[in-house]
Amino acid sequence: MKNGLVLFFGVFAALALSWAGVLLSASQQLGRLGQFKDPTDDTIYPQPLSGLANQGRLVYQDLGCVTCHTQQVRREGFGADLARKWGQRGSYARDYIRDETVHLGSSRVGPDLRNVGNLELHPGADADYFYKLLYAPTSVAPGSLMPAHAFLFDVHPVAGRQPSASALKLPSRFAPGPGLEVVPTARAQALVAYLTSLKDTYDYPIERSRNAPAAKPKEGGH
Amino acid sequence: MNSTENTRTEPVERDGRTEQMEIDTSAKWPLLVFFAYAIGWLIVGGALELAAAIQLHTPTFLATCEWFTHGRLAPAAQNALVYGWGFNAAFAVGLWLMARLSATTLRHGGWLFIAAKFWNTGVAFGVLGILAGYSTSFELLEMPRFVVCLLLVSYALVGVWAVTTFSIRNTENVFATQWYLFGAAFWFPWLYAVAQLMLFNAPVRGVLQPVVNAWYVHGLHGLWFVPVALAAAYYLLPKILGKTIAHYYFAPLAFWWLAIATAFAGGSRLIGAPVPVWIPALGTVANFMLVVPVVLIGLNLFGTLSGRYGALNGSVTLRFVLLSMLAFVLGSAANFAFSFPGVAQVAQFTLLSGLRDWLLFYACFSTAMFGAAYFILPRLTGNEWRSPALVKIHLGATVLGVVLLTVGLAWGGWSQGRMLNDATLAFTDVSRAMTFWFTYRTVGLFVLLLGHAAFLVNFAFIACPFNLSGAAPAQINPPPALEVLKA
Ligand code: HEC
Repeated sequence: MKNGLVLFFGVFAALALSWAGVLLSASQQLGRLGQFKDPTDDTIYPQPLSGLANQGRLVYQDLGCVTCHTQQVRREGFGADLARKWGQRGSYARDYIRDETVHLGSSRVGPDLRNVGNLELHPGADADYFYKLLYAPTSVAPGSLMPAHAFLFDVHPVAGRQPSASALKLPSRFAPGPGLEVVPTARAQALVAYLTSLKDTYDYPIERSRNAPAAKPKEGGH
Repeated sequence: MNSTENTRTEPVERDGRTEQMEIDTSAKWPLLVFFAYAIGWLIVGGALELAAAIQLHTPTFLATCEWFTHGRLAPAAQNALVYGWGFNAAFAVGLWLMARLSATTLRHGGWLFIAAKFWNTGVAFGVLGILAGYSTSFELLEMPRFVVCLLLVSYALVGVWAVTTFSIRNTENVFATQWYLFGAAFWFPWLYAVAQLMLFNAPVRGVLQPVVNAWYVHGLHGLWFVPVALAAAYYLLPKILGKTIAHYYFAPLAFWWLAIATAFAGGSRLIGAPVPVWIPALGTVANFMLVVPVVLIGLNLFGTLSGRYGALNGSVTLRFVLLSMLAFVLGSAANFAFSFPGVAQVAQFTLLSGLRDWLLFYACFSTAMFGAAYFILPRLTGNEWRSPALVKIHLGATVLGVVLLTVGLAWGGWSQGRMLNDATLAFTDVSRAMTFWFTYRTVGLFVLLLGHAAFLVNFAFIACPFNLSGAAPAQINPPPALEVLKA
């Protein structure tokens, strides 16, 4: 091989083929994916994120929660995601079209969060729980390896003013001290709005086949 | 004469010490600058990585400071290592190999100083940006968008230089090293620009974003770091052993096959993910196809080494290169294994999936760069390595660290996956069991960092212009290029 031109075209073609073959054709296919209008209740799914939750998504991004958390539920027969109550069904590509940025994640140092706001799966996982988890993780999950994000909270003295309605009710062991209260900042509120919005409860009739039959032959094999 | 040269199966350089010396003289200062930045980032990135590793078993470590929260520190460390150490080292080694093999001196080297300055300013701002909260959270593309142009422009300055050197080559023969360097020089900017465009400038929708991200990350490892490592191995082995590459007729086939299959293999990172199933399926097929080029490259490189293992005793470079080659095979095997759903199901999302990329980036690429640095720097500076003990520490720490981490992350990752897939085990119990392996990982990274520190000290001695040892045989005047920098 001594011809520079052949080398150049070959090198160019190798990547161009994969770009066209993988990214462009996937873009064609996924670009067609739209919201789905449920025929019985006339609602459109997936429902868009609220404005506050969308800001929370940015906080999730800047704090790098994706370093330890995935947001993808694997289907029955591939891992134990459903048994761990990380979802009621495997995730569909359609679930993600409401998200401006998609962070499926590649590490599970912590649990999957795709349905962490689903109270049917996680009774008690309300805003209050998330605030405590972010401020002092061990106050709600003893022995947890989740890092504290106390910098998302303001600690003020209560003296001389009305106690804040949004102050955290912490067990005394985790509270900053007498006369002080812990109040979530705007960023913490946005982040928690995002976390509570994380739930894919609707099961699209047109997607259901992706979950169930795909799982069947696998079950036989394992 | 030419016809024999064309069929040579070893790196052919114009003979004549003077010519090689001329090339080295012209390359000395720009390359020393790249090496210095590279090693600086290796230490900085390694320290950040170590701190992030500590946080996994001691979550309170640096947790009160927002800039050092784990979710920022870990990607900052990764970016410092990949774009700081990885790219600067690849620039230095790649440019030198290209100049030597194309038998041309480095012209207009002043531009390379500017490129180095810009690139490293970009990386520094990128890493600080991640720590300050401008991370995009896309793997290996976390650096905020304002540094992207800076990186692409400075890359272009280096890349153009490499391609120009190649096109004005004074040799008939184009050796395997040059194909890999030439390919990598084109692939990286393309991968990077496409990923930036499709994720940020004109963002694609939904799960296509992780597909683009996977395509980029896989390409960065397989079409940039691995080719540069192989380029170094194809050059250094025959050079040091004084023989030709064994079975060289396989090399072109291996090169093309590796390039095409790797370009398609990215989807294999998304097995089980909510993306159209043909994407991971295609990636899986590509990973199976990759067995052939890996075997062929193994035949080339190990075939060259076979029967000459005794030479390992005399050469640090050779030992690093051997480590790199073993890691290349192991890393490729890891990619292969990950293509089986039964394996992916357990190994996904654990320490093992980190190991797969680490094997290619650190154990394969970085060790090849260490080997190349031990070969190139004495020639570039005309000095000897000051402290053989430090060289031994570096080599020993690298070998020990690589073995420790490979075994530990594989074992720990597998058990992590098994535990995660056992729903009867509470998540906290999984975390508790993993604390041991996270601590183990910290130890492994610390060992590597010790080796890097030894390397830094030795580098400072050899690169210091006021070398007092008096061992410098050829006093080389700084080339006029330096004036550009001062201006
Ligand atoms: C160092 C890794 C790490 C980082 C970074 C991290 N987490 Fe966690 N997270 C964990 C671990 C480990 C747990 C599990 C706690 C336990 O043992 O129950 C967890 C648990 C959680 C839970 C509770 C899940 C459940 O099912 O109960 C939520 C919600 C959560 N994290 C949100 C976040 C958010 C939001 C961020 C970013 C600001 C974040 N985490 C960053 C490791 C991390």
